[in-house]
Amino acid sequence: MKRVPTYCYQCVAGPDLLTVKVEDGVVREVEPNFAAAAVHPGGGKVCVKAYGLVQKTYHPDRVLQPMKRTNPKKGHDEDPGFVPISWDEALGLISQKLVGIRARGLLDESGYPRVAASFGGGGTPQFYMGSFPAFLAAWGPMDMGFGSGQGVKCYHSEHLYGELWHRGFTVSPDTPLTNYLISCGANVEASGGVVGVWRHADARARGMKRVQVEPHLSVTGACSAEWVPIKPKTDAAFLYALIHVLLHESPRERLDVEFLYKHTSSPYLVGTHGYYLREPASSAPIVGGALEAKETHVSLETGADGEVLAEGRLEGETAFAKLVAHMKPYTPEWAAEICDVPAARIRRIANEYLDAACVGQTIEIEGKTLPFRPVAVSLGKTVTNGWGGFECCWARTLLAALVGALETPGGILGTTVRLNRPMSERHKSVRADADGLMAYPFNPTDERHWSARPNIRNAYRSMVPLAADGPWSQALGPTHFSWMFLDATPPGLPRVTLPEVWFLYRTNPAISFWDTAKLEERMARFPFVVAFAFTRDETNHYADVLLPDATDLESLQLIRIGGSKYIEQFWDHEGFALRQPAIAPRGGARDFTDIATALAERTGLLEPYNAAINKGTLGVPLKDFALDVSRPHGVEEIWEAVCKAASRELTNGAEAHGLDWWKEHGLATRPFPRTAWYLFPTLAAKGLRFEMPYQERLLRIGTELGRRLHEHGMTWWDKQLAEYQALPAWKDFPGIWDSGEQYPFWLLTSRSMQYAWGGNVGMQLIKEVADNIAGHSGVIVNAGKARELGIHEGDWLEIATPQHSVRAKAVPRQGIRPDTLLLLGQFGHWQTPVAKDFGMPSMNSLVPMSLELTDATGSGADIVRVALRKAA
Amino acid sequence: MTRWAMVADLRRCVGCQTCTAACKQTNATPPGVQWRRVLDMEVGEYPEVKRAFVPVGCMHCDEPPCMHVCPSTATKKRADGIVTIDYDLCIGCAYCAVACPYQARYKSSDDTLRPDVATKCTFCVERIDAGLAQGLKPGVDPEATPVCVNSCIAQALHFGDVEDAQSNIRGLLAENQHFRMHEELGTGPRFYYLWDKAP
Repeated sequence: MKRVPTYCYQCVAGPDLLTVKVEDGVVREVEPNFAAAAVHPGGGKVCVKAYGLVQKTYHPDRVLQPMKRTNPKKGHDEDPGFVPISWDEALGLISQKLVGIRARGLLDESGYPRVAASFGGGGTPQFYMGSFPAFLAAWGPMDMGFGSGQGVKCYHSEHLYGELWHRGFTVSPDTPLTNYLISCGANVEASGGVVGVWRHADARARGMKRVQVEPHLSVTGACSAEWVPIKPKTDAAFLYALIHVLLHESPRERLDVEFLYKHTSSPYLVGTHGYYLREPASSAPIVGGALEAKETHVSLETGADGEVLAEGRLEGETAFAKLVAHMKPYTPEWAAEICDVPAARIRRIANEYLDAACVGQTIEIEGKTLPFRPVAVSLGKTVTNGWGGFECCWARTLLAALVGALETPGGILGTTVRLNRPMSERHKSVRADADGLMAYPFNPTDERHWSARPNIRNAYRSMVPLAADGPWSQALGPTHFSWMFLDATPPGLPRVTLPEVWFLYRTNPAISFWDTAKLEERMARFPFVVAFAFTRDETNHYADVLLPDATDLESLQLIRIGGSKYIEQFWDHEGFALRQPAIAPRGGARDFTDIATALAERTGLLEPYNAAINKGTLGVPLKDFALDVSRPHGVEEIWEAVCKAASRELTNGAEAHGLDWWKEHGLATRPFPRTAWYLFPTLAAKGLRFEMPYQERLLRIGTELGRRLHEHGMTWWDKQLAEYQALPAWKDFPGIWDSGEQYPFWLLTSRSMQYAWGGNVGMQLIKEVADNIAGHSGVIVNAGKARELGIHEGDWLEIATPQHSVRAKAVPRQGIRPDTLLLLGQFGHWQTPVAKDFGMPSMNSLVPMSLELTDATGSGADIVRVALRKAA
Repeated sequence: MTRWAMVADLRRCVGCQTCTAACKQTNATPPGVQWRRVLDMEVGEYPEVKRAFVPVGCMHCDEPPCMHVCPSTATKKRADGIVTIDYDLCIGCAYCAVACPYQARYKSSDDTLRPDVATKCTFCVERIDAGLAQGLKPGVDPEATPVCVNSCIAQALHFGDVEDAQSNIRGLLAENQHFRMHEELGTGPRFYYLWDKAP
């Protein structure tokens, strides 16, 4: 028996570390990597999903050799007629298409890339696709904006606004120090991974109070001190009322006035047109003499497109003073009506938050004295996407700023960046703009640089300035545009076309997207689809070629670990970990790196492919260990070089361990300073301010974007343009989803920890253990409401929107509002082995794709109004 | 005298079922057989409702009802408190499954290793014995500790010698309020549930 160290990165809350017991060439067991307990903040453990890897390896329905489609007709009810072919034939079919495209040009007549690729799991496929990123880099323009369901399945507003305000693509409480946490729908016990669960359990044990604000009693609610069953999509009203209490019912000195004055844009003077007053000579914003002040200065007020709106002796009011006035109507009594939460309870929570904030206290970390503000607000998925997401993110960030808990110990932290660069180190992304704030790489909205010719089909560069234009931006655009606009491209954009080749890996958008029936209908028209396939599934049902890549325990890759990454993955160490074959690939499966090399060679891209590897596309520049670009290299040869370069980086040049060393040890790390968890010291050192509360930049770019669109006859985005506000007002967000009296229920979804990210939905083990948690076998309905409707446990119910309906078994529970239904996870499979027999529907087939339900960031919300009746 | 016991901290357990999966894998139990599982319980009525996750399994009782009803003497109790089943002696009558107030016993014809005999949590007795033979300490050294405890990502499950005043679990029991399931039945279960700090 041998133990093989490796990593698990099946969800964004990873990576976690494990060892695999192998006996007689057979993978027997998964275990924690106890040797990593000292560096991994979750004790070197892995969650339930990793225990499914043994069954994944030996799954009886695995695709173990390349296959090609023989039925040219594509459709839900068409049998693809997949037949086995050799690797040579499979790669030949693909490279023939690709070479043809290169000959004709990478862009089509609309200017869109002819090749598209979709990867699922919030970027996690990258940690399993070996050197394929180097092939993508060598290829050139590719459309990666079709998505896998992001927009309704991600924390979309948090990603975009979080990066704008504090470099927080994901935002987490500083759980090791936080003492009071208001969690609006954040389901950390299901989505926070091993580290999240580990840390929150520790926090609860030491006395952290978590208040879970959510329409149903999730697993996180179950583990919280208090559950507040709020009405769906009213979180912004709840948060606004908390702000009202802090601003209007508490002495000002209880707020962190110094933080607000020195480290936020609160004291900037705002003119009568809503823009900052500026020094005439330097154009710098004028800072008021106090947090709340009205002052007159010789100044300029400059609006959109550099237009001078006023000049001379102008009166301005500080941004903070404007905020105070803006929040006055949002009393707890006002919010109580909207949220269905008593005003006294809202007021108590606001005061508990303020009491726990420790304003004025400091803490010493690694010899540095920093503010200690152990309070946080975390937001869940449906709270941070779609209409209302902006307001919730703004309110959360403001609640932190008011007490100085923004990027300070105990407060809220943005744990990683994906839109700002460099992605590996968010502190280095902190650069000054001309206004003393952090610069942000907005897509241009000025007349000269804005373009109505998008680079990809979802048009993120033209429509969503906040999406920026980095490697992740395509996936953060309005991905549903790529599908919606195929049939009817709105005026002003080039006609949206089908990609000629579509690559798929670790994604199943026919299940995980919104309005899945509509998606499938369009997918059936894609002319040539290449799917890296573990088993058959609902998306590769439409593929032309299936390629079996070596799976998690069969293939080789080195990745970065530690530092500060997604969710709760901020460590006291950083380094690298190896994923290595515990056994040889089964059947004809091939390591992804070998597949990528073969594709590069056959498409004439070997030299740029190798050059991309040398440059650092696989995570570390190879420098002294650079590969000969003129010839193909085997998987071990490539990762040997990467391992050596990683060793050298990690030890500042002292060591250059090769693959054998990494196979034996599995990982290597060095200390990562805890002070690097916090962005505040970096801003303070650079003399920069957080842009809170007033959003002058958003007002400006929104106005400019509106002008550009209108200049091009594009009025279909007007509703979204209204979201660009300096101080966001409450709107009737729940009313946006109203479908009439016949659809009285809110249908929500919630993370299933056992299935999260879905790649393991076909494992019997996971199904068996997940069923111990309520909701995995049907729709959760309030027990009292069920009684009222004559519904009993196990009854078949029909859940309907005006357009679609699904059936599910009734699961009556007490822990849910009477007006709310809950369908856990994402199921509705009809092709994936094992899962197709679950009889579990998904709300994804009920959530419509529509412009009406799309917010300014390009996202919808995972929520829909439905009717409920007993099925015939 | 050693007395092995399990401790579950209900404040920490999140119902993730990692322990259930780890147990199934190590002990190779067939589908539907869960020697360790975690219940998802609700108490109260909306909106005054609490939800709790409660790990359960064989309680390795001081007075195991399953042992007393066993007609073939297959079920025995070791000196260290672990309740065992001799699969060669078990006739699969399932009296024990009926007698166990904790619903901890299974019998499955799909169990290729233990077909049609009674099975249940063993506290991973093989790991304990092998670990002790190597001088390791169960509950402290992973190699000698039940896999459910090793796998727990919330540090909710603990294992140790309840008779050892210096043991890890004695410290937990001293520092926290705890209960045992169905104590009123006089079974003397050796599975303790922590629910709050000691006053």
